[in-house]
Amino acid sequence: MPVLELKNIIKNYPDGQNINEVLKNVSFQVNQGEFAAIVGPSGAGKSTLLTIMGALLTPTSGQILLNGQDISQLSKKKQTEIRLNQIGFIFQNSDLIPYLKIKDQLQFIQKISSKKPVDAIEILDKLGLNSRLNNYPNVLSGGEKQRVAIARAFINQPDLILADEPTASLDSQRGHEVVSIIQQTVHQENKAAVMVTHDERVLDLVDTIWEIEDGKLKKVQ
Amino acid sequence: MFLTLKELLHEKLKFSALGLIIFLIVFLVLFITGLASGLANDSGSAIKETNAQTFILQKGSESRLNRSELTEQDWQKFQDKYHNKAAKLSVSQMSIQQANNASKKTDIAYFIIDANSFLNPTTISGQKLKNANNNQVVVSDKLKSSGYKLGDKFKDPATKTTFEIAGFTDNKAYSHTPVIYLNQKQAQKLSPNTNFNTIALKSGISKKSGYQVISQQDLIDAIPGYSAEQGSLYLMIGFLYIISLFVLAVFFYIINLQKLSDFGTLKALGTKTSYLVKHVLSEMGILSLVSIIVASGVTYGISLYMPASMPFNLGTTILLGTGLLFLAITLISALLSLIKVVKVDPISAIGGNN
Ligand SMILES: Nc1ncnc2c1ncn2[C@@H]1O[C@H](COP(=O)(O)OP(=O)(O)OP(=O)(O)O)[C@@H](O)[C@H]1O
Ligand SMILES: [Mg+2]
Repeated sequence: MPVLELKNIIKNYPDGQNINEVLKNVSFQVNQGEFAAIVGPSGAGKSTLLTIMGALLTPTSGQILLNGQDISQLSKKKQTEIRLNQIGFIFQNSDLIPYLKIKDQLQFIQKISSKKPVDAIEILDKLGLNSRLNNYPNVLSGGEKQRVAIARAFINQPDLILADEPTASLDSQRGHEVVSIIQQTVHQENKAAVMVTHDERVLDLVDTIWEIEDGKLKKVQ
Repeated sequence: MFLTLKELLHEKLKFSALGLIIFLIVFLVLFITGLASGLANDSGSAIKETNAQTFILQKGSESRLNRSELTEQDWQKFQDKYHNKAAKLSVSQMSIQQANNASKKTDIAYFIIDANSFLNPTTISGQKLKNANNNQVVVSDKLKSSGYKLGDKFKDPATKTTFEIAGFTDNKAYSHTPVIYLNQKQAQKLSPNTNFNTIALKSGISKKSGYQVISQQDLIDAIPGYSAEQGSLYLMIGFLYIISLFVLAVFFYIINLQKLSDFGTLKALGTKTSYLVKHVLSEMGILSLVSIIVASGVTYGISLYMPASMPFNLGTTILLGTGLLFLAITLISALLSLIKVVKVDPISAIGGNN
């Protein structure tokens, strides 16, 4: 059974008198241990698709099955709970909380979650951040920040990882490093992951590639 | 709480500045409130601290003691009905001079009473006023700041009558002057007129035909200067509360505006909105609580070093009341920020557009 499955997703935005059809009947799936990438031109609807997967946006129609449960019609409160416990996000600008030390970034998630906490320090250690535990995000390099964001996404042991252009603010070498960390963690921990990217050079690291164009999504690899 | 403490610790400068503003305003409010309360005491404590609830004045005297003159016949009517719950009172504002130094004058108010009535005040040193025909009188503690001590003598400049201080009451004042209590026999030495200003009643009545009947507070309000003083001070205090509500709301709003994208991220990561609401409220709550406590301490400390002649009164009721009112004001000022925080859409975290 796939971890995440989208069935016939349509998303329209009102655009003056007309309707802007951003997603036209999109279907998609990703399995445990699989790292999928979504590519496509700017404005094609990649971010829109990812926010729908992450229970941040309700589609106009269609089903989103996370572990077999349709999450598209749940209340905001339930969706928040699902984001906390079943989904891990990695954002484009890492979006760390500026007033939390690196170890607190992870401990905060553990504080608000009711799941049994794992060793946050060990995870940061594995990502080569053990010397940064007591630093604030502003002194970290872009690559380090993105590694903290990866650790934060995995800390609550979600089933699904969603990453929106995680390499956009990094040079190509750092970008490749960061994505390979995501890839390794996904494979080791047997998670499902979806990454939206512009960056062709990291596509060698993913298991499947989907392309979105003109609101239609198709699997290209 | 986790977020709140971490943030307060990390953004020390920003929150210290906000705390400083709260501290300064609370300090000013406490100071003016203390002054208003001190001035109120200084103006009417000799009336306020009696057990009298109602005052009977001559009809048409417009609540002013000095415009009211009652006679022995009036007194009989009330005494027959109220017995020892009624008491005669005359107030006359004059000046006295030190017995051995005629150039040292002090403005005072004579309270002429029956020493056996409920208007006779308790003393903090010396003895209580008696109805004897001697020159032993009881005076307010406030007279000490003009250099008077127990056993000192003073003179009425007009009649050259000399009185001796036999006892001190606590800080009783009338229209900003210390009060000197005389019995009726002693008063005769200053003026042979046996008429008096008012009858004080321990019971609360509201009407009696042929007289003006007013409450204790009405009488105090009519003391010259009292209402104008209190009115303008409380207007200032009121405005300070309103100003601080707006200043704090705007300041706090700007601080939170800078953090909206963080709130979006936190929501996207699965933080409940209710958690963030608590975070914002406890942030403002902790900050203002600390500032209020410090301001109370500082104001209290300063009040200890104020000269006795400065009318300042900072009781626990004022401290507590002001503190609670201010805490409420700061929490209300956080409302504007809360609306923003509640409305942040977690979707803003995705797409890199923040
Ligand atoms: N809230 C919205 N209201 C109306 N239209 C929107 C909204 N969000 C996105 N769109 C439109 O949907 C389309 C897809 O936007 P989306 O952000 O998903 O593109 P993208 O593929 O992520 O682009 P990029 O690579 O530049 O990030 C765009 O045409 C955009 O104008
Ligand atoms: Mg995008």
